[in-house]
Amino acid sequence: MLDRKKVELMTRLAFYEQTEGKEDFKISEYYRRDYTGLHMICSVLWVTVGYICVVGMFMLVKMEDIMGSVSNGLIVMLAGAVVLGYISLIIVYLIITGHIYNEKHKDARQRVKKYNHNLTRLLRMYEKENR
Amino acid sequence: MDSIYVLRGRIEELYSRNSKIYDKAIQFILAVSTFLLINRNVGFMKAAASPAASVVLAVICTFLPLAVTIVAATALIMLHMYSVSLGILAVTAVMFLVMYIFYLRLAPKKALVALLTPLAFFLHVPYVIPVACGLAASPGSMVAVICGTLVYYMMEYVKKAAANLDGSGIKGMLTQGTDYLSKVFQNKEMWVMLIAFILCFFVVYGIHRASMDHAWKIAIVVGIIVNLVAVVAGDIVLGVHTSYGMLIGGSVASLVIGLILEVFYFSVDYTRSEKLQFEDDEYYYYVKAVPKLSVAGPEKTVKRINERQETEIIDTESVRKKSGTASGGVGKNGKRPMPKKGQSVKKHDMKEVDKMLLTQSLRKDLNIKK
Repeated sequence: MLDRKKVELMTRLAFYEQTEGKEDFKISEYYRRDYTGLHMICSVLWVTVGYICVVGMFMLVKMEDIMGSVSNGLIVMLAGAVVLGYISLIIVYLIITGHIYNEKHKDARQRVKKYNHNLTRLLRMYEKENR
Repeated sequence: MDSIYVLRGRIEELYSRNSKIYDKAIQFILAVSTFLLINRNVGFMKAAASPAASVVLAVICTFLPLAVTIVAATALIMLHMYSVSLGILAVTAVMFLVMYIFYLRLAPKKALVALLTPLAFFLHVPYVIPVACGLAASPGSMVAVICGTLVYYMMEYVKKAAANLDGSGIKGMLTQGTDYLSKVFQNKEMWVMLIAFILCFFVVYGIHRASMDHAWKIAIVVGIIVNLVAVVAGDIVLGVHTSYGMLIGGSVASLVIGLILEVFYFSVDYTRSEKLQFEDDEYYYYVKAVPKLSVAGPEKTVKRINERQETEIIDTESVRKKSGTASGGVGKNGKRPMPKKGQSVKKHDMKEVDKMLLTQSLRKDLNIKK
């Protein structure tokens, strides 16, 4: 005869495996620090590319103005602004990325723990049945 | 009012019965309308701009995750931009890349908002977006609204300026790119819209979370007023020519959408709200508990009276015939009983025949053997 509780538990487990579980299992393979660190490195690379694009576009628009009043002082000031902007942007993005991926890992671990707990319950049910 | 909640219950029930089909249908409608609107506004490449291409692309996107629809829409825009000029394509691609890097990479689920914003602009109801996001989304989604608005004004510029874009070679491309960027970012209408959206969003978001009664309704109305004031002020101060018809129509649409969202996400009964006060070692607590409104739909019960009621119309002629045969039925041995000689055949009157027939039909119906 069908064991209703067992069926419910198995359904819950299968549902999780086929939805959120796919990504959660991948995330939980990493330690939290490793996972967050990896994404922070990726973030630095991406933000660098994005920043180059933004500075490039800015230069494109303001090219004529800059060329019209080009001087050493202006170039140094512009370079300083670009570097300062880059550093501040990187810091802001590292904080945001760190927070987002830290939380993501924490949530995923919690869900995986719950999944493991349910799996253990199911195992016990089988053991009880076989006795 | 109750009927609205009953209708909500029915819609939810209907949706939950076949949610997968409805999800796919919504995804298809979203995809096809996105592609058609893109083609209608910036459809410079004839092959990609045909309705058949849009429908085929939408059908493909329907069976794939929603992110694919967004990628397909981006690719379609890029194709059309390529038809205009390489300079325009390069700038558009860089803009999309920047949006992806700085925002959509971190919050991919918000990409839907970035897709819906230009759609709302094309449908002349852009004011719905900040109100709806303020009610149903987090403050982070405002960045997606800004990205969507930027995309719309980029397309709007290309739509208007495509015929006048000229220049070949690298210098021509550079000029086109520079013009494109500067014109988009110097568009006062876009800045007015962005400021109005941001103000409206934060007003709606802030008020709808307050503990006061009818917070959602107040948030919607105040948000719309703030939006109207910001747009009109921008119109007067910066000389932006905003369509007042679109402004009023859009505001009415945002009111309607806001109220629909309230019915689905936040239906509470303020008349039964309770205020509690208690304390622990560290804090005093002032709690307001508002019960959720739940209206049970009227249940239809089918009451069956006399489940097996079969009216038998007795044909008098057949009764008479039967009355003749009833007395002469087949005996136990399968032989027809012969009347005894010397005795007259017993005659039944009609009442007795009726009784007999009734007993026979009852036996048949109830399967009672003799």
